[in-house]
Amino acid sequence: MSLLPCPVPLLRARISALMQRFSAIVLRPASADNLFRRAFRAGLLSLLLAAVANSVAAQEAPYFVTYDHHMEEPGNLEIATWTTLGVPRSGQKLFFAPFSEFEYGVTARWTTELYLESQATSGDSAVFTGWRLENRFKPLKREHWINPILYFEYEAINEASKIHKEVVGNAGISDERNAELAATNAHEIEAKLILSSNLHDWNLAGNFIVEKNLSQDEGFEFGYALGVARPLAKLASGAECRFCRENFTAGLELYGGLGSTNGFGFHETAHYLAPVISWQLSDNSSLHFSPLVGLTNVSYPLLLRFGYAYEIRAFGRKVAQMFGGKP
Amino acid sequence: MRIPTGVWFVPLAVALVAAQNVKYTQDPDWKPPSQTAEKKNPLAEKPGLAAGGKKLFTRHCVECHGQSGEGLRKAADLQLPVVQDQSDGALYWKITNGNPDRGMPSFSGIPELQRWQIVMHLRKLKRAEAEK
Repeated sequence: MSLLPCPVPLLRARISALMQRFSAIVLRPASADNLFRRAFRAGLLSLLLAAVANSVAAQEAPYFVTYDHHMEEPGNLEIATWTTLGVPRSGQKLFFAPFSEFEYGVTARWTTELYLESQATSGDSAVFTGWRLENRFKPLKREHWINPILYFEYEAINEASKIHKEVVGNAGISDERNAELAATNAHEIEAKLILSSNLHDWNLAGNFIVEKNLSQDEGFEFGYALGVARPLAKLASGAECRFCRENFTAGLELYGGLGSTNGFGFHETAHYLAPVISWQLSDNSSLHFSPLVGLTNVSYPLLLRFGYAYEIRAFGRKVAQMFGGKP
Repeated sequence: MRIPTGVWFVPLAVALVAAQNVKYTQDPDWKPPSQTAEKKNPLAEKPGLAAGGKKLFTRHCVECHGQSGEGLRKAADLQLPVVQDQSDGALYWKITNGNPDRGMPSFSGIPELQRWQIVMHLRKLKRAEAEK
């Protein structure tokens, strides 16, 4: 006879305590000074929760900025939370810029995404920095040597945005306070030409970015993103495993600005080199990590990115069923 | 009155048969190039790897094709001869390219050998049907 306590109630009590702790950290009113500590704790707890989640997938590319040609599967909804943490040079302030992503596969050739973003700066404040709506279209029906994807995005953001979802134009590091930056709104449209190729197990992707700020007369801004990635294992094992190589994909990204119509080129532009790694935690969730190294003097010297994505299968069908649709 | 246990299997069997998408008809335009269709499965000599294919099938395919490949809603019933009579190369090509206009996404993001593992598992679905 086992002297150990019954594991089920014990586990339930532990999960309940964990959830209470999580709520206390996330739902307490935030001030910017201790936001970082809370974010760190929330991140750790998310990791822990993810690690105990049911093993139930996605063809997740590890990239943070570069897009490849893989679309969200039709009817699936992916909910993801991404964070950019800016590690400053001396005299600059540490910032923390999380954003949430809701990606839905409308059809096998059309994916739409909504982003909600915010930002907190050490010794300053935490602000909501806006939203973005993007759409990706796959014009070709079949896989080709190079696969093009067309990308269109509308952004209703303010100047406090620091998520670095892409890098365009001529960059400068602002030392203005969040309150001033958040007061300047920007309505922007962005288009990307995504070219991506699968060469054996390698993915190679390149994006050319054009962005126009409709709120200001500053011409068109340009940028680029390049990525290469490969899964760490070619074969899948028969056993369920969380730490085996097949669950990891590693790669490298390079992205930056290319100036604007007022001056195209590399002058005064930010560029980053970023190793990336993703870990498929379960069939429908993945963790992503990437440290970015700034390559020019107008780049941030070091940024750290973290992401957690969770996919809800057949979300569209489940919603349709709620309103009397066919199962 | 106690109902014999075996009786419960009757509605279950009826439900499973009813769930099968036997009305599935192939898209006549969804055909691999002949060279691709003739490709041999490089893992054919390693049948043990089909277990990994089953895991991948559960991860990527079950949502539409069902656990036994019976085909839910518009997705193909993978047990049908119209599917099973196709060559390994043809199935591999279809997994890779998808048929987006009919709702089947491309799975080219899955490593090549893993796509062949899925093909190995699809052949097991044929066997399961034959054993019935």
